[in-house]
Amino acid sequence: MSKLEHTDGPILEIDRLSISFFTRLREIPAVMDFSVSVMPGEAVGLVGESGCGKSTVALGVMQDLGKNGRIVGGSIKFKGRDLGEMSVEELRDIRGNEIAMIYQEPMASLNPAMKIGKQLMEVPMIHEGVSEDEAYQRALEVVTDVRLPDPERMLNSYPHQLSGGQQQRIVIAMALMSKPALLILDEPTTALDVTVEAAVVELVKDLGKKYGTSMLFISHNLGLVLETCDRLCVMYSGEAVERGSIEDVFDEMQHPYTQALFRSIPLPGADKNARPLVAIPGNFPLPHERPPGCNFGPRCDYFEAGRCDAGDIAMADVPGNDRHATRCLKFQEIDWNAPITVGEQKEKTAPGKVVLKMDQLKKYYEVASNALFGGGAKKVVKANETLSFEARESETLAIVGESGCGKSTFAKVLMGLETATDGEILLDNQNIEQTPIEARDTKTISDVQMVFQNPFDTLNPSMTVGRQITRALEIFGIGDSDAERKARMLELLDLVKLPRAFADRMPRQLSGGQKQRVGIARAFAGGARIVVADEPVSALDVSVQAAVTDLLMEIQRNEKTTLLFISHDLSIVRYLSDRVMVMYLGHVVELGDTNQVFSPPYHPYTEALLSAVPIADTSVEKEHIVLEGDIPSAMNPPPGCPFQTRCRWKSEVPGGLCESEVPPVRQLEAGHQIKCHLSDEVQERMTPVIKIAAE
Amino acid sequence: MDPLSWTGSIAFLNPLLFAALGLLAISILLWIVIGAVTPENRAITNEGGTLSLSAGPQGLAALAVRITFLASAVILLAYVVLGLVMGTGAGIIGAISQRMLPVWIALILLFTLSISFKRRLGLYGKLFDSPIGMIGFGLVMFWVFTGIFGAFDMIVTHDSLAQASGMKNKAPGTPLRGAEDGDFAWYLLGGDNLARDVFSRMVKGAWEVVKIAPLATIFAFMVGITLGLPAGYYGGKLDTFLSFLANLILAFPVILLFYLLVTPEIVATGLPQYMAVVLFAFPMVFFGVLLNARYRTQPQKNLIILAVVLVPLFLMYMSLINAAGSKIDFWPLDFFDVPGGILVVFVSVVFVNSPTVFRIVRGLTMDIKTRDYVAAAQTRGERPWYIMLWEVLPNARGPLIVDFCLRIGYTTILLGTLGFFGLGLPPESPDWGSTINEGRKLLSVYLHPALPPAIALLSLVLGLNLLADGLREESLRD
Repeated sequence: MSKLEHTDGPILEIDRLSISFFTRLREIPAVMDFSVSVMPGEAVGLVGESGCGKSTVALGVMQDLGKNGRIVGGSIKFKGRDLGEMSVEELRDIRGNEIAMIYQEPMASLNPAMKIGKQLMEVPMIHEGVSEDEAYQRALEVVTDVRLPDPERMLNSYPHQLSGGQQQRIVIAMALMSKPALLILDEPTTALDVTVEAAVVELVKDLGKKYGTSMLFISHNLGLVLETCDRLCVMYSGEAVERGSIEDVFDEMQHPYTQALFRSIPLPGADKNARPLVAIPGNFPLPHERPPGCNFGPRCDYFEAGRCDAGDIAMADVPGNDRHATRCLKFQEIDWNAPITVGEQKEKTAPGKVVLKMDQLKKYYEVASNALFGGGAKKVVKANETLSFEARESETLAIVGESGCGKSTFAKVLMGLETATDGEILLDNQNIEQTPIEARDTKTISDVQMVFQNPFDTLNPSMTVGRQITRALEIFGIGDSDAERKARMLELLDLVKLPRAFADRMPRQLSGGQKQRVGIARAFAGGARIVVADEPVSALDVSVQAAVTDLLMEIQRNEKTTLLFISHDLSIVRYLSDRVMVMYLGHVVELGDTNQVFSPPYHPYTEALLSAVPIADTSVEKEHIVLEGDIPSAMNPPPGCPFQTRCRWKSEVPGGLCESEVPPVRQLEAGHQIKCHLSDEVQERMTPVIKIAAE
Repeated sequence: MDPLSWTGSIAFLNPLLFAALGLLAISILLWIVIGAVTPENRAITNEGGTLSLSAGPQGLAALAVRITFLASAVILLAYVVLGLVMGTGAGIIGAISQRMLPVWIALILLFTLSISFKRRLGLYGKLFDSPIGMIGFGLVMFWVFTGIFGAFDMIVTHDSLAQASGMKNKAPGTPLRGAEDGDFAWYLLGGDNLARDVFSRMVKGAWEVVKIAPLATIFAFMVGITLGLPAGYYGGKLDTFLSFLANLILAFPVILLFYLLVTPEIVATGLPQYMAVVLFAFPMVFFGVLLNARYRTQPQKNLIILAVVLVPLFLMYMSLINAAGSKIDFWPLDFFDVPGGILVVFVSVVFVNSPTVFRIVRGLTMDIKTRDYVAAAQTRGERPWYIMLWEVLPNARGPLIVDFCLRIGYTTILLGTLGFFGLGLPPESPDWGSTINEGRKLLSVYLHPALPPAIALLSLVLGLNLLADGLREESLRD
């Protein structure tokens, strides 16, 4: 099958596209008056919060909106031909052949019952009718291109035999099999760990150049878009609000929403006390409750009644810039360079006495290889290896690490869901490491509480919000009567800044950020003194993240809580934590004050993590460190230093020490410790990973 | 009196109905063939946002199917309505339609009320958005109302046990010989081989099914849930043991089990009663644990609520298992005796249904226990049973409700099977299984006694399956 002829114009041209979904109750407009064009070889980013319609645009391009979705206006032209007028057969030729799509969840995009090679070979065999041999050769070539080790073995394995990062590489390889003219990537790295994400992003960028493919990159992460794209389109509530080149939009933003977005993400320089984040007030409007006029109006600082809500607002070109447009009536009046009105500055609270002390904590699991009869060789999984640290009152200790580093196991042991194998946990100088939660007294339980990661999972979907908080009060023995508990429950809702009417709502009626607030209220129901926050904001939208983070900080300040903040996002860690602990495969590899950890000397893993985190600031220069391979399995850790398989400094240590011995913990400055064999001289040579260019 | 014909004076509708049904069959066939041959259609967006679906042969065929289906439905409705007005003037169909008047009224009331308030009725209301679900619900409620009104002697024309001379194996519509004033003058669906009225027995049989099947299914669910939750939640050895037990019961030939249970020698040992002691204790355990887990933190309130719920349950339980003159006969406060046969039916139905429920609940629990809200409950020190019953179970309700509907259907068939083998229920019982078995013996000569209960059974189970489908479909949407 031949590809469509193409002349000079844009590869993809979306013109005033409107897409609606039809439900039983009403028509829900998902995308309105959306225009963007992608030139050959260009990468265009599509940024916005969840529910803003960015994935719908992608599905619209694929003409795969399902039964309820329909294009109600505008056109999508691919290589000059309107996709809406093509027949089913013509579309079938284009999908996968000329336009390929990469989805968020790699496992869901691969057929688990088919070998990788076969799935890859299918693409050219169906679309171009090539022979099996040729298809195999091409598969081999593409798998080599996505930098997978041992391509022939890869082609001969099933999807479940590969790790998440490898699977995503295979999905990318599959998309590239037919050398498409346009690649649509729908949050391709959200399900991956940070260091793996960095490698995949790098790969996508290089391949785009090599194959000359145009890309439509959908993401909620401004930093990622900065690293991958040439141009960018910011969406809000179904509309494109700003569109232009990366430099124009990042440095000369012309829409209040874009500005608010940048102010609500923790860029280097933000600080929880001196320069707090500015959260966008209010909530994202539901598709059928959009305000008249500007959708962002109700949340906008520059809103002018009678003008901004008068009627539909069209995109307007920004004079002087190339293809830079904004959907704001007032963009020429707003002083975009005005300094941020700095919010209330807060006193830095001094950490108090030590409340929690971990000493040489170990947690091993025994896994029997034969589950039914318990026979066979037993394997030991070392989930936590000699964990030692102290946490003080009203201090924020960040625990950083990727999946499999043992941070969840540590949380479980602390909470009492598991008991420790060895070592001590001292809560107010009392040992609790061997006390399971059933044996703990109410005081201990209510003192140590947890905030969970996934807002959609943290509340019981069939119980009202009020009931769930009241239950926590009942369990912690607070209040003597139902009325008293109800009053306390309403106070807790006030504490997390939710309206009291929410007490009678079901969790499904709440947004993600609101659910997370309820989760926080529940954790503080018993006056918790230590709160373990397991990535509490990572699943939330950017604009909501800032508000929830601020809320946590404020409660902490007032209640003098010790916050153990588990995260993989170093930007937010730098913003809010006092001390940072970096974990890798069950080991604490680095521990120290935030400044100590974020400046050299680093542990090589910390260095790589810092480099991997995308930062949405054009003035930041990062040293480029891409880690090879994946995180080893905790079932089968490498000998010696856990990080030696991916370490780029390994050659600096003489005598293969890294491969034979676990490095000792070395004290550098006061309170700064690193688990590494590297000598002082080598450590001295390390340069800062993140440099802010002089303005 | 003349014998009644099937349609009487509304016979003019018959050719119309046959024509409509024939056309329906042809159009469905055409629709399938055209769908397989011609390419699929695609909605095309025109300039200005209007939408057009190209009207090819496929669209025409689909339209034909819809029209002929509507026509058939309208004609069928005409039979019912005309019959309602004309009574016996419209033959057997008219007479039956008129006898069913209370059922029609109840159905119309139920549907109008439900549809007008459907947005406020949760999942039940959503059922009325799905045609399949509505048809299923209609069929089920038809038999439920028939059973209930039949139990009040409202629909039946004759005593379901009375024999009338000269009516043995008589065809449908035969007039009753020597009918007195106040007697209904015909056997509408004929007489069986003991000269009893088939129509009345079918209606009475509906009550037998409607009262036993849901109740037995509820008991089976209680047992399955109470065992499935801990098996799924704790896992490990307990799970291995309980799952093994469930597999053992499932692997045992059910019919043999039934025969064993009703064998007089076995009944004499009191085995079914002992099984009842165990199986019927589960609802008490279930409610006791459910409430205790919830109100544990307020001992005062807990005690009152537990007493209010558990004391009546306990009294009912004791009355249920205690029977004068049997192995268990010591309880003074025996309010009612369950006939031995019914007890056996209950025990066996619960016994064979609960392992399947157990497996469903276990699987759902294993999935739900990994959610964060379960972890949240654990970290605030909730007891395991609170987590199982208040955090896990309510969130497993969707699949369980669907399975409940399907399972009532299986139970109905199981009851029919038991009746067919003459197990459990007394021989003169009008339940559908027994009636089919009696009719079977003369099936080659007289078809009419066996068919009505068979069709009744078929339509009820079909209705339950459609209802379950509708519920599943609707619970997955939005």
